[in-house]
Amino acid sequence: MKRIAIDPITRLEGHGKITIFLNDEGAVDNAYLQIPELRGFEKFVEGLPVEEIPRVVTRICGV
Amino acid sequence: MKLNIGIYWGAACGGCDVAILDTHEKLLEIADMADIHLWPIAMDFKYSDVRAMKDGYLDAVLFSGGVRNSENEEIAKLLRAKTKTMIALGACAQMGGVPGLANMYTREDILKRVYLESESTANTEGIVPLEGAKNGAHELELPRFYNTVKTLSQVVDVDYTIPGCPPASMQIYSALGLIWDNMLPKKGSIIGAGDRALCDECSRKKSEKTITKIFRTHEKLPDAETCFLEQGFICLGPATRSGCGSRCIKSGTPCRGCYGPLDDVADQGIKMLSALASVIEAKDEKDIDAVLDTVVDPLRTFHRFSLASSILRRKKA
Ligand code: SF4
Ligand code: SF4
Repeated sequence: MKRIAIDPITRLEGHGKITIFLNDEGAVDNAYLQIPELRGFEKFVEGLPVEEIPRVVTRICGV
Repeated sequence: MKLNIGIYWGAACGGCDVAILDTHEKLLEIADMADIHLWPIAMDFKYSDVRAMKDGYLDAVLFSGGVRNSENEEIAKLLRAKTKTMIALGACAQMGGVPGLANMYTREDILKRVYLESESTANTEGIVPLEGAKNGAHELELPRFYNTVKTLSQVVDVDYTIPGCPPASMQIYSALGLIWDNMLPKKGSIIGAGDRALCDECSRKKSEKTITKIFRTHEKLPDAETCFLEQGFICLGPATRSGCGSRCIKSGTPCRGCYGPLDDVADQGIKMLSALASVIEAKDEKDIDAVLDTVVDPLRTFHRFSLASSILRRKKA
């Protein structure tokens, strides 16, 4: 079994990698898109004063 | 000879990268100055390309984003070995930035909220990311999600810092000029920013500040010419380095401190707290406390960008 890693995937906002497994005939057995990142905005905006939300969630993606 | 540079992001939003792109036509000058060998947002280089470089091959790396997981740390260390000069770009790399607010919680709190409890997530099997997983014969790995968000300088030696969230584009351009012209100041310096407090450059009218009540922005309309702090709106100007061009102030909104502290200030948030306490009109400590108690969300107000680098650092585990 052969393994191809595309790491990182590029020209997008964020982190990602693709891992492809080839079988003995060289055909694709399976391919996986993995997202190796998490920051946790869902948690740390909880309870934030509502008027401050725009200036925090704009840091989710700056692209 | 052209410089060899790398641009990378850890726990970031891409805004620092866009700030580089926002140098507009100056980008062509940057391209004349430097060959870029890594820049995930814009160019297709792989980690294997970086691993294949000789140590010290790069003249400079601009690293935005904090260190949130083991991959961020691994690549930070890899790039440190490959570069002569490591530059922390932006508030996240410098101080943890907004993603550093995750230090108010534990790793488990965050994983639970994001993957198990979030209203928009259907995850009946209760799957959370694992560092290693097997699907038949296929073995997959993910980085370890740390309990604590770290700044770049908490994991590798950092030579210079360009502050801001994001840094002002022209400040990035001028900082790159310092490398090109071989004019970098002493190691450890902040580049691409001022050396005074934001208040010293702010054009709003200032007189003797005396606050008796803290206002939230929806509670009254701020006067467009007077200092925010004098009007009772919390503004981090006294505790924040200048260099941003007063972007927020000019847009009619108080500073939240993204340019970080001045030299020799250990904790920006605590510096702001003491600046605030000193302008409160009160007879004694009890009165000061009564006013300070009206700050709705002190931690995320005073340490909006700097929690990971502060002396508080994180919630007790
Ligand atoms: S410093 Fe601000 S603009 Fe830069 S990556 Fe962090 S959140 Fe984005
Ligand atoms: S506190 Fe804010 S509004 Fe007042 S002078 Fe300082 S930066 Fe300007």
